[in-house]
Amino acid sequence: MPIGLIGQAMDMRTRIPLIQPGKRRRKRFLVTGLVAWLTATVAFGQANNAVLDVGIRLQKTVNLYTENGFTAQYTNRALAHQRLYFGLSYVTSRLGTALNSNAIKQDNVLVTASYYFLPNRLIRPLVRVNAGYFKADLGSPIFADLPNSSPLASPEIGLCICPKGGLKVSASIGYNLITGDGVDGPGTLYPVFGQASITWNVLKKKDH
Amino acid sequence: MKALLPFLLLVFLGIACSKEPDITPDMLDSGTFFDPSVYEPEKYLVSKAIPNPTPEQAQRPVIIACHGYSASTFEWDELRTWLTIKPDVYLSQVLLGGHGRSYEEFKKATWRDWQAAITEEYSRLESAGYKNITLLGSSTSGALLLELVQSGYFTNRTVPRNILLVDPIVLSSDKSLSLIGILGPMLGYIDTEQPKAEDQYYYHFRPQETLRELQRVINVVRKELEKGITLPANCVLKVYKSKKDPVADPASAALIYKGVKTADGQPVEVEMINSDLHVYTRLQLRDKVSAIDQLNQTATFMDITNRAMR
Repeated sequence: MPIGLIGQAMDMRTRIPLIQPGKRRRKRFLVTGLVAWLTATVAFGQANNAVLDVGIRLQKTVNLYTENGFTAQYTNRALAHQRLYFGLSYVTSRLGTALNSNAIKQDNVLVTASYYFLPNRLIRPLVRVNAGYFKADLGSPIFADLPNSSPLASPEIGLCICPKGGLKVSASIGYNLITGDGVDGPGTLYPVFGQASITWNVLKKKDH
Repeated sequence: MKALLPFLLLVFLGIACSKEPDITPDMLDSGTFFDPSVYEPEKYLVSKAIPNPTPEQAQRPVIIACHGYSASTFEWDELRTWLTIKPDVYLSQVLLGGHGRSYEEFKKATWRDWQAAITEEYSRLESAGYKNITLLGSSTSGALLLELVQSGYFTNRTVPRNILLVDPIVLSSDKSLSLIGILGPMLGYIDTEQPKAEDQYYYHFRPQETLRELQRVINVVRKELEKGITLPANCVLKVYKSKKDPVADPASAALIYKGVKTADGQPVEVEMINSDLHVYTRLQLRDKVSAIDQLNQTATFMDITNRAMR
């Protein structure tokens, strides 16, 4: 390698390290903050009989993509005696149909509110409302004029199998109130979807 | 009363399913008249007009133009008129299976029947010795042609020089089509409420069975695109897509762009057209036609012809 190029590489290395000091500090701060939040939530949650279900959400739109991702929901005694849950979900075709395929990569972020009927039963009916944001990557600047994002709003109705432990397995059918026709909204936002979630209550006290 | 419920439900479903559309004799649906290509195929199909071409004729470009769902050969009549200035280019206007005849014929046909009319003409031309064939499809024919490529139809055959797709459909703009499997039996059919003048060229009523076939074929093609479709060697594909197509979702073009590659792995060409018409190359019988619409049509006809003559 010519001397000039070695010099340039070293120069680049000293100027732009893999993780810059500022970024490293921010990362450490974020990790510390997350651990502190989790510790506080667990401590507070255990004291208040709170539930924090964390798990996976598997979603299939009728006649379109499978989109999978993560979900979390929280409740405590003050929220309608643990019948009302608030949560956050993220599902994406990147973890579904678009995984190793030419399907459109699209992401959905949802804020959810769920109500579980028949407390203490093994099988509990549930209703849920979601609001959120949808974004699709159409893959080329050729399609820059086409809409690729949209707000999301959908109700869901379904059932949850809730054994005594921390496990919850739920399935529901949802309807996207906002869909796209490719002119006024993204063309890959379809109306009806089914979803299944498998979650674990991370605040559940260990049985002794 | 409880025992009666299932019976009442059956009666309700029965009534819903037996609904028949109110077809009048001036509609294509009536079966009182057919698409003109049925009566005079030699005026529409090159294989019938010149079944034994001379070596010079066999070298001339032939465009096989295929129309969309519920349409007829009328959809490409303006191209025929335009081609009078290019007498060296032949045009075959194919009538898709089940189309251009009657509501009952339409209702019975599957998407495989629709597609068969294209392969029949292609096969006749190939057998007659035509070497320079271009496939041109609008709307649903876009999906039918893509499926033909993926199915391996062109393996060990004369390869088409071009596959040109005008407003192809892979995603429907009307998302309720995705629910046709559930809603279809309750609907029976859909009234297009199209202008009266179009009734003799486009089916006025769409039987739910055909909408299911449409959903089926676009689903098949979407899944094939997800896996990847490779064009045969020496074949190029171009998509012309209306930016504000109200029928075939413009994102269909993105799915085709991502899903189809040439034989040497290159992306295909896509041209987004500044139009709000579906199948913007057909301007006859439109309520309003702007100067831009005229320009779009002429530019696309010229591009199609130049590519066919290449």
